[in-house]
Amino acid sequence: MQHDIPVDQIGPLGLPMAEAVQKCVHCGFCLPACPTYQVHGEEMDSPRGRIFLMKEVLEGNVALDEAEPYVDKCLGCVGCETACPSGVPYGELITAFRATSETKRDRSAIDKTLRRFILETLPYPGRFRMAAKLGGVGRIFRKAMPGRLGDMLDLLPAKLPAAQPLPEVFPAEGERKGRVALLAGCAQQVLAPDINFATLRVLAKNGIETVIPKQQSCCGALAAHTGAADQAKQFAKQNLKAFPTDVDAILTNAAGCGSGMHEYELWLRGEPEQAAAEEFVKRVCDVSVFLAKLGIVAPPELQTKTRLAYHDACHLAHAQKVKSQPRELLASIGNLELVEIPNGDMCCGSAGTYNIEQPETAAELGNQKARAVISTEPDVVATGNIGCMTQIETHLSNVVFGKRIPVLHTMQILDRAYRGEPLA
Amino acid sequence: MSAEPDSASAQNITAFFAELSRIYSADRILTNNAQLAPYESDGLTCFRARPCGVVLPETQQEVIDTVRLCHRFEMPFIARGSGTSLSGGAVPIENGLVIAMNRMNKILDYDAEQLTAVVEPGVINLKVSQHVAGDRLYYAPDPSSGPVCTIGGNVAFNSGGAHCLKYGMTSNHVLGIKAVLPDGEIVNLGGDSLESVGQDLTGMFIGSEGLFGVALEVTLRLLPKPEKYYTLQAAYDSLEKAGNAVAMVVASGLLPGAMEIMDRLSMDAADAAIGAGYPQDAAAVLIVELEGTTDEVEAEMPLLHSVIEESGAYIVEAAKDDAHRTKIWTGRKSAFSAVGRLSPDFIVQDGVVPRTRLAEALAEIERLSGEYGIRVANVFHAGDGNLHPLVMFDGREEGALHKAEELSGEIIRLCIRLGGSITGEHGVGLEKRMYLGEMYGEDDIEFMHRLQHAVDPQKLANRGKKLPAATAPALLTRGAHPLEKQGVIFRD
Amino acid sequence: MTTSSMHRPANIEELQDFVRASQNIRVCGAGTKPSLSSGAIVSTSGMSGILEYEPSEYTFTALAGTPLSEIRDALAENGQLFPFDPPLVEAGATLGGTTASGLSGPGRFRYGGIRDFILGVKMVTGEGRAVFGGGKVVKNAAGFDIPKLVTGSLGRLGVLVELTFKVFPIPETWTTIRADFRGLDTGNLAMIRLAMAQEELQCLDLEPSGRLWLRLGGLSAAVDGRVDRVRKLLQQVDAGVNVEVLSGTDDVHVWDDAREFRWVPENYQLIKLPVSSAQVVTAEQLLTEAGFESARRYSVGGNVLWLAIPESVGSDEVDRLCQQLGRPALALTGSWSDPQRGPRQGQAFAERLLTVFDPDSRFETAATA
Repeated sequence: MQHDIPVDQIGPLGLPMAEAVQKCVHCGFCLPACPTYQVHGEEMDSPRGRIFLMKEVLEGNVALDEAEPYVDKCLGCVGCETACPSGVPYGELITAFRATSETKRDRSAIDKTLRRFILETLPYPGRFRMAAKLGGVGRIFRKAMPGRLGDMLDLLPAKLPAAQPLPEVFPAEGERKGRVALLAGCAQQVLAPDINFATLRVLAKNGIETVIPKQQSCCGALAAHTGAADQAKQFAKQNLKAFPTDVDAILTNAAGCGSGMHEYELWLRGEPEQAAAEEFVKRVCDVSVFLAKLGIVAPPELQTKTRLAYHDACHLAHAQKVKSQPRELLASIGNLELVEIPNGDMCCGSAGTYNIEQPETAAELGNQKARAVISTEPDVVATGNIGCMTQIETHLSNVVFGKRIPVLHTMQILDRAYRGEPLA
Repeated sequence: MSAEPDSASAQNITAFFAELSRIYSADRILTNNAQLAPYESDGLTCFRARPCGVVLPETQQEVIDTVRLCHRFEMPFIARGSGTSLSGGAVPIENGLVIAMNRMNKILDYDAEQLTAVVEPGVINLKVSQHVAGDRLYYAPDPSSGPVCTIGGNVAFNSGGAHCLKYGMTSNHVLGIKAVLPDGEIVNLGGDSLESVGQDLTGMFIGSEGLFGVALEVTLRLLPKPEKYYTLQAAYDSLEKAGNAVAMVVASGLLPGAMEIMDRLSMDAADAAIGAGYPQDAAAVLIVELEGTTDEVEAEMPLLHSVIEESGAYIVEAAKDDAHRTKIWTGRKSAFSAVGRLSPDFIVQDGVVPRTRLAEALAEIERLSGEYGIRVANVFHAGDGNLHPLVMFDGREEGALHKAEELSGEIIRLCIRLGGSITGEHGVGLEKRMYLGEMYGEDDIEFMHRLQHAVDPQKLANRGKKLPAATAPALLTRGAHPLEKQGVIFRD
Repeated sequence: MTTSSMHRPANIEELQDFVRASQNIRVCGAGTKPSLSSGAIVSTSGMSGILEYEPSEYTFTALAGTPLSEIRDALAENGQLFPFDPPLVEAGATLGGTTASGLSGPGRFRYGGIRDFILGVKMVTGEGRAVFGGGKVVKNAAGFDIPKLVTGSLGRLGVLVELTFKVFPIPETWTTIRADFRGLDTGNLAMIRLAMAQEELQCLDLEPSGRLWLRLGGLSAAVDGRVDRVRKLLQQVDAGVNVEVLSGTDDVHVWDDAREFRWVPENYQLIKLPVSSAQVVTAEQLLTEAGFESARRYSVGGNVLWLAIPESVGSDEVDRLCQQLGRPALALTGSWSDPQRGPRQGQAFAERLLTVFDPDSRFETAATA
């Protein structure tokens, strides 16, 4: 698409944004893949519409504050990238756009407070744990809370699992076949510490030693995808320093973090660390990708036949193009029936802080996803992202009566299978 | 509002929007810049126009009320589906109203035994087939934008697709239409039977590019899904050989469901997009698909193979399974958009030539491409002689668009010269209106203008599309024509 | 039809002159549908002949007065046919007359009717103007679809002069299956099942007795297998159904007779009623209640009822039936004040278009006389 974006005036992110806009041919193949378009049916709430809007803002034809509501509504699921025949790097475009426009934004006082609160808590496990505990108290006053804060509370578990400090090194079982480093994740550590331990045990079982660098920080995805570019850069720089180079891979077990770390080169464009970031990105991969490539020890057959619905986390399936590997791993479990969720390419509405910032759309998508999951009549649901787990669990409980369907991480499923524990 | 519409004063516009707000809640009337900008263009981005507003109706009555209001205020309007038109057909009228039909997306009735479905115009083409798949039925027209485009848009442009050779276009699969004419009158055209009595008004409405009003409800004909597909890809070292192979298949008495050709450039683009795996060194690939009962298709397969081998194909490969077939077709259907990987801008042409002149047309396009120094990718419905040359340019280069349009014009004229049509399935839209007069005579064009005038004297419905701006070139220089004075002919 | 007052223009210019100088113009072709051509003052029979036919294009262009049989023979020589299977070919029907009456035969079940295969038209309108619409290639989206509009227009919009159609290859072999069900209900049920099935039938007709006629076209190598499958489907509806397979001339005669309406008793008037298979049983009940004699054939998978009634039955009876079924009807033979009966739809649209095609109301069909 033709554009007049003044690339030079925008800074290092000007060129990648202009290139993304230029690739868009406005064909509309992204429309059916876009969750917000499915909910709202308006051109501004489609990827094609947002690309056009971003272009118009960058060209100075449309005021940023008019365009913001629609740019904000994007979940960043990048389902559109998978659907796009002309190869528009939409995720890069919107991240860059959010980064360049954040400083120019005029947010309301409540907005600013909420946003600062999120950005100052979620990425820091200690602070988040404290906030979540307070949230449990806050639940008593749920009715008195303003809408979005109240919605936030709904997503927090009533009781947090006990904090479990992670070791610095988790040794391989038997002969060591490899050595990796693991990103521990922030919210995940607080909400579901078992995911990391399950991951470590599964890796160990397959002869992999894992180091968990102490100096690592949040991956920065949350900050980057909400436009807090400086914070994202700081996190990225810190992780570049914290992670060792003498490992076979840098693993993530949260889809959002994985896709965030793959963007380090973009975030650090124009910074001295850009080249280092490029090298770093090459070594980052999801734990499922690493294990599938390695080839895993076959887990013992499950005691009871179990129907498992695998949910594609957008930041795995669309952002990292990881679809087959988790399925391969799960399919290696005997007596497990893997079922596909209808319309499985569609986002569940979690998308980082989305269910806090756009609660109505998030809830609608969450309910749609819950209904789709239930239609497959699964005993258990597996996915590769803590955000999706929380969202799906919340909405499943809204939709299903009587039976509780557990939602687990792919690594938790494998871990349980190795340990001979039932999945559901 | 920077400028007023041709026929409505600023005062009128205020009153118009006041009336609109009696039909729609505030959130369904879009008027700010950020809301309007994304509606400015369709699948052909070199045309853009800013509407004065966009409304999002959810019921037929709202559409009817809107059209009546537009008529009262002389407000030009366009009904828009998913905006996938490749001829500029869904570009708004400058300062006119856009009626966005996307929320009118219910399947109202489905009768498997009668093989019919009644749908609202905002229903997505592919959704119809998905809805009826459980009964092994499908809706045959399959434009490449099937997962995106709406039935309403298909009706307006008589959309085609890859399988027209055997099953025809949209108009061959629409039995009835309920529509609101531009003056607000509601009409029921056709019905739910395959047969009818009297003039075919349904057929006349289809392909009228929105000039005759807005469809509210469409009755579709469904077909039993072919039991077996046999999809074959044949690679050739020249486009000409692939073109001749099509003629040979036709001469053999076979009636394939589809025959498609892609040239090297479009194969490269589609490969980059979805990893379609086309033969790396082929100059052209021909896709032929047989479909029908298993017995019949299996009997046809050897015949097809012998024809294809005789045609000089150096690789012949059949789809191994459903997944492989899907990949072949996804690649083919992504080809237009995938060309976005090769060039920032392009114009898709849609001319038709007699099948026997296919090779000649391709050679001439190649020559023109060389002469203009502009890359032209070719991907087309070879069985129908429906070419889709993609003329590539970079809109930011001074004069590039103009040059690309010139080349496109030459290609269109070539199709006319060879006895074909300027458009097979994308419609005239904005982009080809000036060529309509070269395909038809002056009298025919004037007749079309009069038909438009009879239905919509104020030219409110999708003004400025399909028909050339003036009825005859002479009118531009000589002032009012006697017929014009009498109100018989008109100009925009 | 052969009265001396009949004008037979030999070319389009003569026709234009005639139209400009005349009023109350009714047009006829060969007059095979007398109720549509009675009182005609101009015939297209002087404008006859195939103008273009390129088999590899799947298209031909012929003058309106060309007998269908002539075109059929030319097509057959090149292994092609009319996919819409026009009726009354042996009776002498012309291409123009068939188009203006909008008639298709039983074979239209497979690929579509005459409206689906018309590509282009040249015609003379009420102002005596020659207008061209559509195109000469198999695919065309330019201009308004005037060719479709004139299909079935009964001469009300103008005189058709030249027509272009799309054609298809003739299947290598034809086979007919006759299935005798116990009664109409079961026969109709079988018809519905078969219409939904993936058997790619060419024809699917039902007689009120419950006798179902099916026709398959395709490669001879596949015939036996296909017939077996159809037989099984028929037996699923009624295990005791009596199935007979006809081929060769037996097959040909079945459909020639259907196409030529040879089943219509002498002195009966023939009426076309578009219906749906859901209405077949109702239609039979209504006809029984109406109490007059009739012969019927439900063709095209129950989408059209060909109804033959004695001349003594009045138009009131037909109007009542139309009203009860909510369907229009077209009388092909007999004497009618208006051969088009029952509800008419889209009048507001039709009237607006008519002001352009025939502003001075020169064309009178029997319908508007």
